[in-house]
Amino acid sequence: MDIEEIKKLIKLVEKSGIRELEVEEGGKKVRISKYEGGEVVPRTPVSYAPMPAHHVIPPAQASPVSPEEAGKSEAEEKYHLVKSPMVGTFYMAPAEDAAPFVKEGDVVSAGQTLCIIEAMKLMNEIESDVSGRVVKILPENGAPVEYGETLFKVEPL
Amino acid sequence: MFKKILIANRGEIALRIIHACKEMGIRTVAAHSTADADSLPVKMADQAVCIGPGEASKSYLSVPALISAAEVTSCDAVHPGYGFLSENAGFAEVCGECNITFIGPSPESIRLMGNKSVARETAVKAGVPVVPGSDGPIESEETAKEAAGRIEYPVILKASAGGGGRGMRIVHEEAELMDSLKLVQAEAGAAFGDKAIYMEKFVANPRHIEVQVLGDKHGNIVHLFERDCSIQRRHQKIIEEAPSVALDQALREKMTSAALTLAHHIKYYSAGTFEFLLDSKGKFYFMEMNTRVQVEHPVTEMITDVDIIKEQIKVAYGMPLGFSQKDVSIFGHSIECRVNAEDPEKFVPSTGTITELHLPGGPGVRIDTAVYQGYKIPQYYDSMIGKVVVHAHTRVEAIHRMRRALGEFHISGIRTTLPLLLKIMHSEEFEKGEVSTRFIEDFLSRNAAQPTAG
Repeated sequence: MDIEEIKKLIKLVEKSGIRELEVEEGGKKVRISKYEGGEVVPRTPVSYAPMPAHHVIPPAQASPVSPEEAGKSEAEEKYHLVKSPMVGTFYMAPAEDAAPFVKEGDVVSAGQTLCIIEAMKLMNEIESDVSGRVVKILPENGAPVEYGETLFKVEPL
Repeated sequence: MFKKILIANRGEIALRIIHACKEMGIRTVAAHSTADADSLPVKMADQAVCIGPGEASKSYLSVPALISAAEVTSCDAVHPGYGFLSENAGFAEVCGECNITFIGPSPESIRLMGNKSVARETAVKAGVPVVPGSDGPIESEETAKEAAGRIEYPVILKASAGGGGRGMRIVHEEAELMDSLKLVQAEAGAAFGDKAIYMEKFVANPRHIEVQVLGDKHGNIVHLFERDCSIQRRHQKIIEEAPSVALDQALREKMTSAALTLAHHIKYYSAGTFEFLLDSKGKFYFMEMNTRVQVEHPVTEMITDVDIIKEQIKVAYGMPLGFSQKDVSIFGHSIECRVNAEDPEKFVPSTGTITELHLPGGPGVRIDTAVYQGYKIPQYYDSMIGKVVVHAHTRVEAIHRMRRALGEFHISGIRTTLPLLLKIMHSEEFEKGEVSTRFIEDFLSRNAAQPTAG
């Protein structure tokens, strides 16, 4: 299995609805996993609870970064990172066919629900701990996230 | 066979489980706290999931976090190790409800034997000798007085939901009884969330002998002989060995029989250990059962050549035990020394970074550890950093081998109990094998005048 073949496999997985592909050939094994939105295939059946959801959990270790640091031109330094307070599955919308809570570019206020993290069939609403503009949503819809993982980059306003 | 197992634990036992899984071609997921992000199990597992902050209550003891981690990584089984949720019947049940196989006994067995006073009652019903004690929890001060009068002092008060040697107090006379009762109840409530306590006769200078069993889901149960864990400090085991010098074949047969009787009585499967007290007259009494794999399982593995973790995994999958009682026998002698990151004299935990580490090797030496050079010991967890295990043809050889191994163990940056272990291993008392649970206390007071080298 050479690099060209692996590239072909990656393209194949990318384009298709396949989430995970493992190929073994001559003692060598390649596994390609895709965590993607759109077709969400959770391992156990998930039932979306009607709004309002059961649990509201504050983000983990909210770490505000001082915006103006001498010598740092890096725009990243300005962002407030909203981190996951638990391990689970990240959902951008309250239900499968509903509109997402926020999109990149939206302005949010502190306390506003940004997403849901599902754990053990319970939907937990994650609220923003700052007011600002959502610059980036990091995980894909339906992706697993771990405790402390960055979910949103918010530019405080 | 399982495709992927979530390891709901940390440190050396997490690594031990990874070893077994790798050899069986099973993928591993290390569930870890933020404090363990740089730990060896995280580095060695196929996948790692951060489940919470350092505090165990929010990570290794969090049922939702662990189940969620198993779900998002598509694990079909979870191994709880020892401590944490390994003897939590609720966790075992939730695993079952979520279609994740709990690698351990049934929730019923955990529930039955996890409550120490219920375990005693079960042993009585099965006809296994128990230490004379209160039949059930102590309900009132009057009950306490009556029970102590019947059992005769000295007595020991123990938390029903306790374990690991915590929530216990010895009472020598009636004048101490009431205060001790209140103290143990408070300790029990704080440590285990359950104030219920029971009373037993305190057997002076006993040996702590435990029998390892393995059962499958088809009703087959086999014992893997005994371990002698008499060398303890404040009920925490420090040195263990297999087999025990105190047992001749007749006594061994009686004790392993008692363990099997009890195991069959509760239809036990997976790995489990029955703990007994053995007095100086050769009388033994059932004390408690641990429904999980134990820290000291390596000494049993060394003398029987059975991989207990692999067997647990196979049994959990539904496979019958691959061997019967006549297929196992004792080969040689094994000793284990637990190395703790503690001041060897004051026993205060020592945190810090391991600046230098050289582990002993060579014939008959096995080290179960998750530390490495440069590793920073986190503050949140127990202080054991590794186990030095030796195996040899005879006990004398095993002692010489352990002396060599401990002497070759080099570690800087933190204080450890290695100097104390070396002293004990070189002592005449240990060589003679005249040990009881008082060993450490007596040894330390005898050696108080001679400070150990750092």
